[in-house]
Amino acid sequence: MFDELLQRFMHMFEVVAAEGHGSVWMVLFIGFVFGAIIQWSRVDKFEKIAGFAMLEDMTVPKMLFFAIGFASIFLYVFIEIGLAHYHVKPIMLGGLVIGAILFGVAMAIFGKCPGTGPISVAEGRIDVLVGAIGGIFGGLFFTWAYPWLKPIMGPDYGKLTLPQFFEGQEHLVVLIYGLALIAVAFVIPDIEYLDPEDHEKKAEL
Amino acid sequence: MARKISWLTGGLMMALLILFTFSIWGADRPIGASTYVPYFAGLLFGLDPEQYEYMREIEKAGAWEGVMLLGAFLGGLFMSVFVTKTFRFSVLPSLWKERKNRSVASRLFWSFVSGFIMIVGARLAGGCTSGHFLSGASQIAVSGLIFGGIVMVTLLVTGRLFYKKRGAQDV
Repeated sequence: MFDELLQRFMHMFEVVAAEGHGSVWMVLFIGFVFGAIIQWSRVDKFEKIAGFAMLEDMTVPKMLFFAIGFASIFLYVFIEIGLAHYHVKPIMLGGLVIGAILFGVAMAIFGKCPGTGPISVAEGRIDVLVGAIGGIFGGLFFTWAYPWLKPIMGPDYGKLTLPQFFEGQEHLVVLIYGLALIAVAFVIPDIEYLDPEDHEKKAEL
Repeated sequence: MARKISWLTGGLMMALLILFTFSIWGADRPIGASTYVPYFAGLLFGLDPEQYEYMREIEKAGAWEGVMLLGAFLGGLFMSVFVTKTFRFSVLPSLWKERKNRSVASRLFWSFVSGFIMIVGARLAGGCTSGHFLSGASQIAVSGLIFGGIVMVTLLVTGRLFYKKRGAQDV
């Protein structure tokens, strides 16, 4: 039984190697940097995500708004000169609304999201490990129930982006959007919960 | 090395990583981080893709994110041990103790339940904080903006209803 599990696990690497979205080492590297940035800025902590829900810590929205605003401007430049491509997700309205409601509630209680969870486990958080096991069962349930859930996930309104609604003004829309988000990041009050158990100090800008 | 970086440094680094991952030098793909969970469930329980339609749909995306999150785990472990020096086994977060309760059973119960709901929600929505926020909203995708808006609202409402008011001491 363990052999089979190992085989399925190794198959994961074969799939990635054959996929053409970066070598296995490249994908591991991207993940490593992702984990390192999140751990270094401490946004994998309960105090940062649930703390935002309680308005005790604003690190997450500040960092998120800045990252998205900055990335959006350069991403459109990259796409324009052929260095990147669009990978827009469709608007499956039913699934998007129901899923987002459930996700927001769970994020406030758990104090994690699927990306920060494993990084939090890596710093020794047992409660997050238990939540991750809950997540695995959630994934199992979804896989099993997919044929019944599929009908409520639609209707599909397609892969739309905001600039598409402003023909001829796409560049301006991207620029305004990017700069507005960066401005919002600076305007959000700089509130930080310093965890006494980590002997935390505020980071210098 | 600094034990902690600011939201600005963190945000800038994250933006550069998003751009690199999207670019043809990186993975020519967005960052995503919730498809790996049902994928890992499939690996652990040996779900047959012949039998489960969803396993077939997520085979590629799930594997990519599985490897990426393995890297993220290692990155988190490396940083918490050598740089931020915050690695230690713990069960109750400080703020949970302050605003919810001091019961280990309660925290583990809510962790399990919210972990379960979170993945069901993410898979219904077709993405999570990484796929819809970081990658979706960076492309100014309408799907990402709808997800982002609703999550922000339900997050804040839940925070208000689920936890005690600031300063209220628990006994």
